[in-house]
Amino acid sequence: MKNTQTAPCPLKDADCPVQAAYTELKAAYDLLEAASRIDALTGFFNYRHLLDALNREMERTRRTGIATAIVMADIDHFKKFNDTHGHDAGNLALQWVARTWREQIRSIDIPCRFGGEEFVIILPGTDLPGAIQVAERLRVELTKAPLKLDDASLPLSTSLGVATYTQKLEWPCVEAFIKAADQYLYQAKENGRNQTCYDQSKLTPPATGVTSEERDVLFSL
Amino acid sequence: MKPTGQAPATVSITSGKGGVGKTSLAVNLAFALADMHRKVLLVDGDLGLANVDVMLRLKPAKTIEDVLLQGQDPHCALTRISDHLAVLPGSSGVPAMVAPGSEKRSQLTDFLTCVMAGFDVVLLDTAAGIGDDVMWFNTFARHTVIVVSPEPTSLTDAYAVIKILAGQYGRNDFKLVLNFIENAEQGRALFQTLHQAAQRFLNLDPKLLGTVVRDPKVNQAVIAQTPFLHNTPGCPAAASVRQLARAVGALAADPAV
Ligand SMILES: Nc1ncnc2c1ncn2[C@@H]1O[C@H](COP(=O)(O)OP(=O)(O)OP(=O)(O)O)[C@@H](O)[C@H]1O
Ligand SMILES: [Mg+2]
Repeated sequence: MKNTQTAPCPLKDADCPVQAAYTELKAAYDLLEAASRIDALTGFFNYRHLLDALNREMERTRRTGIATAIVMADIDHFKKFNDTHGHDAGNLALQWVARTWREQIRSIDIPCRFGGEEFVIILPGTDLPGAIQVAERLRVELTKAPLKLDDASLPLSTSLGVATYTQKLEWPCVEAFIKAADQYLYQAKENGRNQTCYDQSKLTPPATGVTSEERDVLFSL
Repeated sequence: MKPTGQAPATVSITSGKGGVGKTSLAVNLAFALADMHRKVLLVDGDLGLANVDVMLRLKPAKTIEDVLLQGQDPHCALTRISDHLAVLPGSSGVPAMVAPGSEKRSQLTDFLTCVMAGFDVVLLDTAAGIGDDVMWFNTFARHTVIVVSPEPTSLTDAYAVIKILAGQYGRNDFKLVLNFIENAEQGRALFQTLHQAAQRFLNLDPKLLGTVVRDPKVNQAVIAQTPFLHNTPGCPAAASVRQLARAVGALAADPAV
């Protein structure tokens, strides 16, 4: 949120005309600034804000060691949906997804429209199991909430990819991090859609103890 | 000290098992590098016991915590030993600062980054074990040196540290220093064993950085609270450490490493 307060008139003049003009301009500027970060159709943040916010969260992970997760989602068969029901219905579907999901995420999460029918939700301070839970909730809740259009009830589903950035510092930049999630999203599509994919090997934490096999080699000395 | 303009080579010294010679080697390595006209900062990351202070008979004025809590000039926490050598003594408040999720972690990072500017080499002596603080220093440093002795428990603990740093922290570049070595054959076998396990199970290729012989003069110097490098410069351990210092100096010389 922007600070909408303006500085007082330095001359302490109660009806300073410069001050009034400044206040008005400041309010207009704040509105524009906010609008430049919001996707007008869905009300989610836009791509520009996604990059900024994700950069900040990755910096936080580097500094605190707490993981950052992203969920990337794509509406299934959206092109077909548009072809069948028209572009206006397509836009309504995008708005419906955004509205349904807004209720499912925490206030600290950062929902963004990536472009087209793709969304990225940043989950600050969230590890992989936590992020999978969120992604699955988004997926399931949407399948329970079809889009009501005139008399029809149009089912919607999504495919989701989840990736995390942890103290291992897996990704060198925002783009690489998003790309990782995108690859799992692609996998979800390949596997038949309406599902969540992620790096399975990251779920089982690497063993820290020394196994008996390892011990055998070490003790062969 | 004038800044050299290049970021210093940061080297953590760790082992898993206690008492394998981390602090003795770190202290003497620091003096050997200073003798080579490198500007060296020795950081005592063993926070409970304040090892380095004791080994060098230091009376630190300000701790890291004093500086961070009271907002003093970070350089107050450094103890100057010579023109080329300074020590950052340990502080008991640090483990809480570096616990995962602590917002203070970044303060400590900023603090260390600030005080180490202008040095060529920063040696970070860590505590025994695999606590958060040990891992923090190891991931802060660019280079990880694992000290290992021929004792089986030292070998397995060294391996366990490597496994954790690789598996949980994504590190894959390790340098081994063998300590308490009686003869060349023993050193060779020790390195090969650890290397074989790391290669086979972790797909890693740890490098041999140096070998330090077992030498009673090391302990005598600890009791005298003087580095053996100066206490008994002609002793075998001093020769080992001077050679090790050249290898560490090469890390600092080559920014690509
Ligand atoms: N090469 C050596 N030859 C003989 N004695 C040694 C050698 N290296 C270290 N020592 C002795 O081993 C003991 C432990 O050394 P040191 O305190 O340096 O180990 P450390 O790994 O720092 O221990 P800790 O884990 O408790 O911090 C000391 O008494 C020291 O004198
Ligand atoms: Mg020690």
